[in-house]
Amino acid sequence: MSQPTEPRPSRLARLRRRASGVLALGVALGAVGVGYAVLAPASHAQDDANQSVDVRMGEQLYNEGCITCHGRNLQGVHDRGPSLIGVGEAAVYFQVSTGRMPAVRQEAQVAAKKPRYTEEQVNQIAAYVQVNGGGPVIPSGDLHDGDVAEGGELFRLNCASCHNFAGRGGALSSGKQAPSLANANDKIIYSAMLTGPQNMPVFNDNQISPDQKRSIINYVQTLKDTNDPGGNGLGREGPVPEGLVIWVVGVGGLVAALLWIGAKS
Amino acid sequence: MSDRDPSRSRDLTVDDLEEMSDSERFRAAAAQLDDVHVLSVHNPAPPDSKLGRRAERKVAACFLLTFVSVVAFIVIFVAWPWEFSPGDHSFFAYWTYTPALGICMALALFGLGAGIVLWGKLLMPHEEAVEYRHGNRSDELDRQTTAATMRDALVTTGLPRRKLLRRSLGLAGGAMGLLAVVPLGGLIKNPKRALFTTPWKEGARLVRYDGVPMRPQDMEPGALETVFPGVPGGTKSADAATMLIRLRPGQQIASRKGQEGFGWGDYVAFSKICTHAGCPVSLYEQQTGRILCPCHQSQFDVTLDAKPVFGPATRPLPMLPITVDSEGFFVARSDYREAIGPSFWERP
Repeated sequence: MSQPTEPRPSRLARLRRRASGVLALGVALGAVGVGYAVLAPASHAQDDANQSVDVRMGEQLYNEGCITCHGRNLQGVHDRGPSLIGVGEAAVYFQVSTGRMPAVRQEAQVAAKKPRYTEEQVNQIAAYVQVNGGGPVIPSGDLHDGDVAEGGELFRLNCASCHNFAGRGGALSSGKQAPSLANANDKIIYSAMLTGPQNMPVFNDNQISPDQKRSIINYVQTLKDTNDPGGNGLGREGPVPEGLVIWVVGVGGLVAALLWIGAKS
Repeated sequence: MSDRDPSRSRDLTVDDLEEMSDSERFRAAAAQLDDVHVLSVHNPAPPDSKLGRRAERKVAACFLLTFVSVVAFIVIFVAWPWEFSPGDHSFFAYWTYTPALGICMALALFGLGAGIVLWGKLLMPHEEAVEYRHGNRSDELDRQTTAATMRDALVTTGLPRRKLLRRSLGLAGGAMGLLAVVPLGGLIKNPKRALFTTPWKEGARLVRYDGVPMRPQDMEPGALETVFPGVPGGTKSADAATMLIRLRPGQQIASRKGQEGFGWGDYVAFSKICTHAGCPVSLYEQQTGRILCPCHQSQFDVTLDAKPVFGPATRPLPMLPITVDSEGFFVARSDYREAIGPSFWERP
């Protein structure tokens, strides 16, 4: 039908072309690597060294305390613990620094308790998991400087349904509960929002931006610092204990006073 | 005069009264005119007795308490350092301000009341008196003359004879009655359409409370966002609040009949208003996939298209059919297919 316009290249020519392509790629990659090593700031080396010490220490702690349930490669163990790939240092910080991990047993909800590890050790485990699994990280610096009013609005919209309007927590289904925020520090609240531990929904940075997260934290911490203008706050639990006190103490006192007056006359 | 007490006599004259003291006059009037007879008077604390002086001092102390409390109230009201400063951890002056005012006011009222009670108990003479009971029916003379007065008044107005006056007055009275009833008409509406529909419609974007539209990449698995229709006034609409939920990997949906494919990928959207009593159900457990209602503890299972699995709610949460438009934002495919919120009479 159609005549070839040019002769087919010989097998040798094709081989030569392929080899030269591979060679060119190798040279280019080598140049980039050498260039990066020359031009990259030297201080990284120091950081990397510290970080790798943290990671090594973290690996040791992980192998002692976490490996049974989360596996050798963070992949998780069936019916024991979930995979830690992609949970990030934020999740590790939340779970370990509040004492939830290491867990005592499988149950409806892993409860907070006295932390097993120091803050430094928590950070080492977090570094290990971050390096090997990746995932969300907690920003450094002040997490407490947001807009209190905006934080209040966001808290009431997103958090108050489970954690109560005053952050005192509340009951969920089948033995689970939303914990009180009374003992939660800035980093714990931030990492909880970021990672959605256990049954809490995840609020990533697209849903609630880092600035908004800081606003919520500022609101929660300001709320804790605020006093109760009416006297005793009754645990800030809301209308149930308040009604109980009104009916038992208030009305009971009035009835007692009426009985006393009746007995006197 | 037949039903009057026979013992009662009107033999008191003005001359008699002039010779009496006020106290005697009062007694005589009570006895002669009202048939109240004082049997005995006991004066517990005569004015000059030691007992009387002590009782007087007690009452005076109570009144003094009132005065002091009122002065204290004013001083606290003006001078108490009640201002709240954030970050100040000694709240004592701030939180005691209102109780201090209340205590002062209570003491003032208590002093006045207690003083008056003590006055009555300790200083006033204690009397024992008898009041005779009389029949309730008035004199025949009084009854007949009163009735005649009323009948005569009616005739004098001319209403029985003047038909025009009577009818026009009736008309005016009826109109005044209407004046009271007509404004209530504004409250009577047929809510039927409003109960069955929400502002959601085809192509309405799913926006957050601040109007930002949602995209599929905005949420992580296990996330929840309350969304509103991106139409004018949508974020203020009370019946349009919707939960946009991204399921976790592995959570399998068993759709209700007729609702297959209402979600988009691993996203599903349900009405946030409980089908039991209309509370906002946003207590979402991302691992168990349950949505809890805080008011009466109803639970809905997201993986069963928000079917109620516990508590008083009997209908599943209505599901909003969603998709993603050409610009990559979530949009509704239509309004809810059923009425949101609690059941009502006409609901099929």
